[in-house]
Amino acid sequence: MAGFLREVARRIFAEELRNSNLAFRDGDDLNQYAPQYLLTPTGARCNRVFLVGTLTERDDIGGDTEYWRGRVIDPTGGILVYAGQYQPEAAQALTNIEPPAFVAVVGKPNLYQTEDGSVIISVRAEAIQKVDDSTRNRWILETAKRTYERLEALKNISLASPEFSTADKPIAVSPAIDAERALAHYKTDTMHYKQMVLRALSSLRADIGNDNAKFSSKDVTIEVPRTPETGHLKVKSESTGKSRSKSTKGASLDSWPEAEADDDVETFHIGKKS
Amino acid sequence: MRKLVDQISARLKEQKIEEPDSEIEAQLKKLIDDFRVPESEAKRSVLNHFLKKHGIPLARTKSQKVKIAEITDPGIWVDLEAKVIDLWEPQNETISQTGLVGDGTGAISFVKWSKAALPNVEIGKSYFLKNVVTDAFQGRFSIKLHSRSQIEPLDHEIKTQTETAVMQEMKIAEISEPGKWINLKAKVVQLWDSNSETISQAGLVGDETGSIRFVKWTKADLPELEEGMSYLFRNVITDEFQGRFSIKLNKNSQIEELKEEIEIGTQSVEFNGTFVDIQKGSGLIKRCPVCKRSLAKGICGEHGKVDGIYDLRIKAVLDDGRRVQDILVNRDATEKLVGISLEEAKQMAMEALDHEVVRSLIETKLMGRYFIVVGPRVDRYIMVETINDSLPVKVNEIDDLMSLIEVD
Repeated sequence: MAGFLREVARRIFAEELRNSNLAFRDGDDLNQYAPQYLLTPTGARCNRVFLVGTLTERDDIGGDTEYWRGRVIDPTGGILVYAGQYQPEAAQALTNIEPPAFVAVVGKPNLYQTEDGSVIISVRAEAIQKVDDSTRNRWILETAKRTYERLEALKNISLASPEFSTADKPIAVSPAIDAERALAHYKTDTMHYKQMVLRALSSLRADIGNDNAKFSSKDVTIEVPRTPETGHLKVKSESTGKSRSKSTKGASLDSWPEAEADDDVETFHIGKKS
Repeated sequence: MRKLVDQISARLKEQKIEEPDSEIEAQLKKLIDDFRVPESEAKRSVLNHFLKKHGIPLARTKSQKVKIAEITDPGIWVDLEAKVIDLWEPQNETISQTGLVGDGTGAISFVKWSKAALPNVEIGKSYFLKNVVTDAFQGRFSIKLHSRSQIEPLDHEIKTQTETAVMQEMKIAEISEPGKWINLKAKVVQLWDSNSETISQAGLVGDETGSIRFVKWTKADLPELEEGMSYLFRNVITDEFQGRFSIKLNKNSQIEELKEEIEIGTQSVEFNGTFVDIQKGSGLIKRCPVCKRSLAKGICGEHGKVDGIYDLRIKAVLDDGRRVQDILVNRDATEKLVGISLEEAKQMAMEALDHEVVRSLIETKLMGRYFIVVGPRVDRYIMVETINDSLPVKVNEIDDLMSLIEVD
């Protein structure tokens, strides 16, 4: 009676998405048509994600057929987005968008395990669209909210109480179960993700404060960090220049995670186009 | 903690056992704080400890007799006197019987596992269900009958809520919880093809406050409903799936045809989200001149090959990160939103020799952007009456969220 239900597009910051490494199929693992999910450290079960950020580069890395790869940056880091012949509209869009530009991406998270065992998360785009900065701002606020909600859910679960399940019990699908599973798998450091959310929000606040104060926005590319280094520099200069009331924040802003390790995976995906 | 201690102490007093609260609390603390035992388990284990100490057999205290309305926690062992209201087709072999039981306080679904090897229950008969365990799924409770449960037929009959209480006549918009027996005056808006033998009819009924899905079970053996007719539905039960309510017509339900016609009204709802899909059938479409349905390759499902009338509309999915919402945007609103008139759309399509260009245009204008839509909800769609861009993020929105997170 239920029929087909479309999967919700989860809001996840790039850093959290990249820290994810637990993928599973719903229910019966053997059923190849069961939807596949990626469980993130804060317990978001995603079959689909929606992200907005700055497209900083895009290349056709395919051979005979086009295979586009783009890099989308949000305040917490970058994520690779792919579109090939099976995502013609997204590939077309990537072709036409000249970076840097704000883009919105709807897509499926993809987990790839390299030969040395490390896991790389990318997004296979269903749709890519150029958007304006107000959409990008709205997304950061919304993603911060959703992430915070998930962190709250994690707080209510204690790791040492694995629900002992009877064989009778059908696998329940609920945020609480996802949170529990995430905690058990990732031993999630909720403080870390809380800090991530706060950093994203303070950088957004700085951006908006900028606009409101009618600061010259002659150089749009400056507005968004292309790498964590420039981003961090920018935020720092603003927080000193504008003398934000919450001065304690300066310290946490300095501690951007060093997590750009996927820069050197140029070719990993070509052999395994699927 | 205090609550747990009181509960345990009360249960002990029932057995005429007096234990100092401090003793109970110390035991609980040890389990919960030092050994991270979940509260319900800790309570059970502390209780058992004291009972054992006083030589009370455990079996007696394993489950306690409750009324259905008192079931508020999953994983609790209970005894229940109830009548079988309905039986459903089990969905797999591990389930021997499943259905609905009720008492004077409400109704609850039950599952009897095949492994339990328990006798079968019959609709309309009352039973004493012993040692059953409560369960919750998406906020709704059920009971599970397994190998340690017992089923004893009762001599007396348990009156269910439907029989004891005067049925409440409700309006559709007032339906806010599942598992409630109600009467409803409504008109059949739409009948859908049933895709299962267990369902005799399914569709949409409406009254002046809104519309709701209904399912009429084959086993209910009720008269056929006709589209456009108004009925009084007696003793139907509300149900919920993923936040949307429906009503189920089962063996206990009755249907009376109404002379008066029910006016269908709708209530506006608001949804705030981003466009994640502009679906096929958006943009420039053709509709059947007779029934206004959209045509597929110039053919109407009802009237065959017809000369279609052009129309402009958007059929799309909004998403707020928690839920998805299907929406339909009519020609007027589409023209304003996309900034293109029907005539211009036709022109565009003609030049490109392809209707799809209009959908692509809509996609470039809307995908990934945030909007607030308002309109009546009809089945899974919001029929959009107004659609506006979400306002730009304001500094105080960020500050509010940041201070909320920081104090946490």
